[in-house]
Amino acid sequence: MSMTGSTPRLGLPATILGLAIGLVLTVVGVVFGFMQGLSVQMIILAAIATMAAFTWGWRFVLGQFEREKAGETEGQPSELRQVWQQFRPAIYGFLVICGIFLALSLTIETFFNIWNVISLIILLTIVVLTRTLGRFFQENRSAFIGIMVLSGLFSIGAMNIEGFASGSNIRSMLLFASFLGIASVGQTLVALLGGLDLSIPFIIGAANVGLMYLIALGLPPWLAMLIVLAAGILLGLINGFLSFRLQGQALIVTLGTGFAISGGVQILTSIGTAYGGNVFGTVPDWLSNLAAMNGTTFGLPFPPVIAIWAVVGVVLIAGMRYTVYGRFLYALGVNRTSAKRVMISEPVYWVMMYALSGFFAALTGCLLLGWSGGGFISVGDQYLFLTLAAVVVGGTSLIGGQGGYGFTVIGVLVLQVLSSFLVGIGLDFEWQQFIFGLLILPMVALYARSPHIRTQI
Amino acid sequence: MNKALTNTRTETVSDRAVAGQAQGGRANPFLLVPITMFFALLGLAVLRAPNLMSSNGIGSAIIVATPLILATYALMASVISGRGTVDLSIGPLIGFINVTLIQLHGAGVIASPITIFVYAILTGALYQFIFALIVIYVRVQPIIVSLSGYLALSGINLVILPRPGGMAPQFMADWGLGTTIFSPVLAILVLATIAWGLFSRTAFFTHLRLMGSDERAAYTSGVPITVVRIGAHLISGAFAGLAAIAFTALISSGDPSQGTTYTLIAVTALVLGGASLAGGRASAFGSFLGAANLYLITFVLATFNFGAVQSFVTNLAYGSILVISLLLTLIIPFIQRHIHNFSPLLYFVALSVVALGVILHATNDSPVRDPAEVEASVTGPLAPIAPEALYVAPLEVARPDAQTIALRNQAAPFVFAALLLAVIAFFVRTAFNQSDRRRIAPVAAVVITLMVLLGAWLMREGAAAGTAGVEVEDLR
Repeated sequence: MSMTGSTPRLGLPATILGLAIGLVLTVVGVVFGFMQGLSVQMIILAAIATMAAFTWGWRFVLGQFEREKAGETEGQPSELRQVWQQFRPAIYGFLVICGIFLALSLTIETFFNIWNVISLIILLTIVVLTRTLGRFFQENRSAFIGIMVLSGLFSIGAMNIEGFASGSNIRSMLLFASFLGIASVGQTLVALLGGLDLSIPFIIGAANVGLMYLIALGLPPWLAMLIVLAAGILLGLINGFLSFRLQGQALIVTLGTGFAISGGVQILTSIGTAYGGNVFGTVPDWLSNLAAMNGTTFGLPFPPVIAIWAVVGVVLIAGMRYTVYGRFLYALGVNRTSAKRVMISEPVYWVMMYALSGFFAALTGCLLLGWSGGGFISVGDQYLFLTLAAVVVGGTSLIGGQGGYGFTVIGVLVLQVLSSFLVGIGLDFEWQQFIFGLLILPMVALYARSPHIRTQI
Repeated sequence: MNKALTNTRTETVSDRAVAGQAQGGRANPFLLVPITMFFALLGLAVLRAPNLMSSNGIGSAIIVATPLILATYALMASVISGRGTVDLSIGPLIGFINVTLIQLHGAGVIASPITIFVYAILTGALYQFIFALIVIYVRVQPIIVSLSGYLALSGINLVILPRPGGMAPQFMADWGLGTTIFSPVLAILVLATIAWGLFSRTAFFTHLRLMGSDERAAYTSGVPITVVRIGAHLISGAFAGLAAIAFTALISSGDPSQGTTYTLIAVTALVLGGASLAGGRASAFGSFLGAANLYLITFVLATFNFGAVQSFVTNLAYGSILVISLLLTLIIPFIQRHIHNFSPLLYFVALSVVALGVILHATNDSPVRDPAEVEASVTGPLAPIAPEALYVAPLEVARPDAQTIALRNQAAPFVFAALLLAVIAFFVRTAFNQSDRRRIAPVAAVVITLMVLLGAWLMREGAAAGTAGVEVEDLR
């Protein structure tokens, strides 16, 4: 998002219109605030915030339009046809959503109410905004669209579901999001190089069972956790070494090692016990505090996993953007050959990324032990496709070189808000999965369309 | 001189590479690993459970393995089409056709075999048609489309049929018994294989492979890539429909989640069979072997009776064999450099002679294990694991008695004749292959063949007094 350079200058009518809309919004906010009986300070603060945010957004967004318009050349076929060509997908989406809404209102009695109409308007706004504004963001369009979808989903959820925007629900959403987020770190890094790591769910399950087993053996928990994390790195290294020469088949190599790992760990842990695969024992308090819903971080009422995820996220985003290692990673992802020419070692990065992937998968497994309180090998199963979905929905290209962890964070949040929205409106697991599957495609199609073959010659 | 020699050498190698490609993958060196593995596993399986080689054993093996083989076939056409089209949704698609078939049959909508076949194949083809349209016109990466389809279909399967149940059509329920080799399921398998064989002779298939190897080259040379892609997906869908029918026959009911497990094993089988996930390379023979290998792995492990950890050992073996066989494909370029007229067919024939020997040995030579005992170890309740069973069980050796030794003596000429035939075939082939070059190799091949024949004749003369000479004479 190129915000640098001179601030965009608006014409007088646009400024007046913007101010008027901002004022109306602020007044609406104030009235709602008084009706809900909030304290006066809060209302004043909210009003100022609304006004400021709106003014900034107005100037920024319109400014982008103005600048683009200035650069455009005249003499295109016709105005209407041009609009049609530019916004064809948006119009299709518009019509499809309207059609679905109409069909639902005609079939379901109670469907047509004020909240659903507002939700419809929000959805339509998302579609329109992504197509109109999205094309002005050259670089980070997927992040912009992701944030739009996220805020739209969240506001729809907050309107339609009792307690959706409450503190405890947000906390639980963040908790699950942080498990998924930490598990997706490896998938993102590997995808940036053009690989895939399907062994993540198996390593998660193996770490989960293995940690419980080591603790039950009587090892001090911190030592057990260190051993498990080291084992995760080791398995990741093995993955990296094996798949480096077989890059086209990385999908299958990692799947194979994943099967082997989960089978091997289960054999190790179940020799001499009667319970096949599942290990029982007591989880130390600090570990369950780390990941439980009612955990506290230095006295603050949220589980430390969220803080861990935040730290990991910030370090990764900053590291990939500002350190030479991060830049080298992107260089390798974009073009192997030219990266090799400037002395960037391909095998080292490939193996390192798989090792990191193993580490973060093992970490997720350990943290999930604190959450579940018992070792289950199948605890990681759902992450097989979820990590992939989070990476893809966020906007990291599976071919490599494009995207980053920041995008994956957005993808994780979108998936999490979507799934708790679906739970909130009372859908069963199978319907959730169905809708999930159907929604991933349009979300990706909003920005990750590859160019037509005739443009690639 | 030396330089000229190397020049001709490289030329012949590249000539051969071109010739190999022109043959449509028939001289595919990537079949080396699956063929070797197939016979190794087959030998082990027969040694462990000789009743595999009975009418019952083969029949049930066909019933169990056919859905997997057909699912692997279903992946082939779309994987050849390139762009990394690994259809992860194949498992849920099979499940979807299965549950809708059961429900529609339960409701009395479809009953006759023809409608059932038409319904299954059309449903599969329709799904793949939509898949292809999305890939072509929305232009999203195929793996994302298949991921999306995986989630959506496995969700809707549970909606259609919340828990396993329902009844398959009566005619289909009888197929799944597996008491005879020549069941209708075998007919489906054979017909599907023949259909693929015919398909791979068409120009369309050549276009498909060209598109999979290099889409830009295909587009610039005028291949209608849209039509080819849609066609590939339609064929995939038709095979998926057949796989769903075989799956329904196997379980004789509806199961919303069992089909989903086919995704991972079918992709595994495809890769084991030497296909390239990047596109452009896959063969029905390889896919068949890959799927059969996976079945044999499960079968062999099931005979070992690992007790409570059975499924874990299976996972471990699956994973390690998968990785090892992929690593073995790395040495293929080295093999190709030294043996540049590798023929999968000849290799297959040679190994099948050995395997035949093993099968004869297992079924006749050593005391047959009590079928009830084998049955118990395959399907019986799981006992706790004994550590020594892990290490020594594969190596158990039958102690020969007098009768066995006599039998062996009788069998020796057969084995000898078979080995002789294999050696002769190998050298004749070498001589044929290199006869157009002015090199020493054809002469050497002829001389060695003659020497082997001479040796055989001398040995036969020496053993003429014995009873065994008659068979050798006949085989000549």
